[in-house]
Amino acid sequence: MITLFRIAIRNLVANTRRSLLLGGAIALVTVLLVVLSSVSNGMQANMLRVGTTLSSGHVNVAGFFKLTSSDASPMVTDYPRILKTLEDAGIKGKNIVVRGRGWGKVISDVATQMGVLVGIDVDKEKAFQDVVQVVSGDLSKMSEPNAVMLFEKQAKRLEVKVGDDVVLTAPTYRGVNNTVDCRVQVIAKDMGMTSGFSMFMNHNVLQKLYQMKPTHTGAIHIFLDDEKQADKVAAQARKALDKAGFTLMDPVPQPFFRKFQSVRREDWTGQRLDVTTWTDELEFMRKILQTFSLLTYVFIGVMLFIIIIGVMNTMMMAIRERTREIGTLRAMGMRRMWVLGMFVIEAGVLSFSSALAGSLLGAGVVSLLNAMEFKVNEAFQLFLMSDTLKLMLDVQTAVVAVAVIGTVTTLASVLPSWRAAKKPPVTAIQHV
Amino acid sequence: MSTPSRDAIVRLSGVQKIYKLGKVEVPALKGIDLEINAGDFAVIAGPSGSGKTTLLNLIGCVDVATTGTVMVDGHDTGTLSESALTRLRLEHLGFIFQSFNLVAVLDAFDNVEFPLLLQGKLNKAERRERVEDIMASVGLTDYMHHRPNELSGGQRQRVAVARALVTKPRIVMADEPTANLDSQTGHQIIDLMKKLNQEEGTTFIFSTHDPKVMSQADRSIELIDGLVASSEVADDGRLDTPQTALV
Ligand SMILES: Nc1ncnc2c1ncn2[C@@H]1O[C@H](COP(=O)(O)OP(=O)(O)O)[C@@H](O)[C@H]1O
Ligand SMILES: [Mg+2]
Repeated sequence: MITLFRIAIRNLVANTRRSLLLGGAIALVTVLLVVLSSVSNGMQANMLRVGTTLSSGHVNVAGFFKLTSSDASPMVTDYPRILKTLEDAGIKGKNIVVRGRGWGKVISDVATQMGVLVGIDVDKEKAFQDVVQVVSGDLSKMSEPNAVMLFEKQAKRLEVKVGDDVVLTAPTYRGVNNTVDCRVQVIAKDMGMTSGFSMFMNHNVLQKLYQMKPTHTGAIHIFLDDEKQADKVAAQARKALDKAGFTLMDPVPQPFFRKFQSVRREDWTGQRLDVTTWTDELEFMRKILQTFSLLTYVFIGVMLFIIIIGVMNTMMMAIRERTREIGTLRAMGMRRMWVLGMFVIEAGVLSFSSALAGSLLGAGVVSLLNAMEFKVNEAFQLFLMSDTLKLMLDVQTAVVAVAVIGTVTTLASVLPSWRAAKKPPVTAIQHV
Repeated sequence: MSTPSRDAIVRLSGVQKIYKLGKVEVPALKGIDLEINAGDFAVIAGPSGSGKTTLLNLIGCVDVATTGTVMVDGHDTGTLSESALTRLRLEHLGFIFQSFNLVAVLDAFDNVEFPLLLQGKLNKAERRERVEDIMASVGLTDYMHHRPNELSGGQRQRVAVARALVTKPRIVMADEPTANLDSQTGHQIIDLMKKLNQEEGTTFIFSTHDPKVMSQADRSIELIDGLVASSEVADDGRLDTPQTALV
């Protein structure tokens, strides 16, 4: 009923200070929710983009080779047959890349750096070229034999620059340490966690290091058009490979370098394949995102709780002030439900308009922060895999924020409004 | 005492009202027998604290008696549910308050229209016509879109009178409607009420201290200490000097 809305809006306007205070608080929570969600979304998108380019495909077929039951090499023998099997099963994706994998260390004259070794064929890795930001050197030089790419922090620690020689060493599946002489060809900008412990090199380095045959590799990364399909495609791949006679490891949601220990202890020899998804390989990212979301929700929950108390308190005050008005309307024959409705509408108008305003303001803050190319501190960079915070606002989040916050704060007004509705009409006359 | 009459619109018998203030019981009405006829312009007189407001509340169905029966327009209010009482007020009663009690954020027109909206019987055009008519008869055609705080006390009470009458109720209750007005304005309000009483046949029951106001009534009930001290009907439609005048 329009008159109730009119009364609601006019009362809100009449109590400017109170409305602004409460509405401002509701708007603020909405702004925070929208901005924090955008940070979370941005982080997720960035981590996904960078993470899946540097350390994982959306779906990976990799595995371990055990010559004896006590060792373990992150290796896939006869990968062309795997590729064929995947192709026959209709698994194409957007792109499939084959990378060497290893675990070893880079040694310079002054220091050593342990980490995951990734062998790439840079010419076939367009996405990799896009993601990596070169500080010095030339990415195309990565196609030269024995080329190594280091991240800034690694290079600093090792005290090397482009053109310097380093030694790579790793225990091989034959149980001895092999070494390969390499040349630093590229130094790239740090990219969070991954750049701490990943070193990229020409595929041939790993082949030498592990004395692999040309049909051997580390992992097959499958990039999909829609990363949400990863689980489905992984299951498909598992089925096809199993049918083709490959032995598969049980799926464990962990990155491959965390599996060395357990695989080494297992009592089997030969080749076993491990089909994983990006969420398995980028486990730490998932955890960071989960923690961040959890913190966001806890924070917003606490804020909402405070707002609920505020709404109830403010409504109680408003209702006490308007006791005579309520009594008058009741005496005139207004039903209790209508009185309830009148106050709930008032709270609802305030809640939803404030939440909407907050959402729009939040969107503004998001674009402002993006325009400012907000630089994040180093600790945060580690998680973010980028030095700028790129926020991503999706309309759905904003709409949900308005709906949830608007509804919750409106509901908070029901109890005080019910008290108002229960006031006896005689208060119209008696209340002074 | 008036003899029982067939067209009594309000009939009280043996009515007591006891307020409870914690453990203390305050008897406000101590046994009232009373009839008011349809079309009466009835005044309830009596000193402060004598129970005038309490009596009007009972007749106005905003409160119920502790003992005894209150019949309003044929309904025994003691037997009605809260929502039935609300309905009775909405359909058949109108209220005018000492301090006007207009909805501050609505203009005069919206205030007067409000009871019609609650009733939900008339469409927009019909409501408009009804409101404009009643505003004309209270002389506020030019103040239709003023908010209460833009009106004088007398004008506000006129709005309140219009609001009470817009639904064409059977009975209009007014508890000291002139107490917050200067005497001249107060008399104008009483004259207005009297005019509407005569034109529309609406029953008016109001309380007052003012002897001049009392003299306008054709039915006078004097309360003292929760009891009816005197009750008289003016033969010529007018009471002479009331015995109850607090001169
Ligand atoms: N809500 C209440 N609670 C307790 N006592 C009340 C209440 N309302 C009125 N009274 C008492 O009842 C008596 C009658 O009051 P009231 O009907 O207001 O008289 P009047 O309107 O003639 O001044 C007074 O003694 C008053 O103190
Ligand atoms: Mg009184």
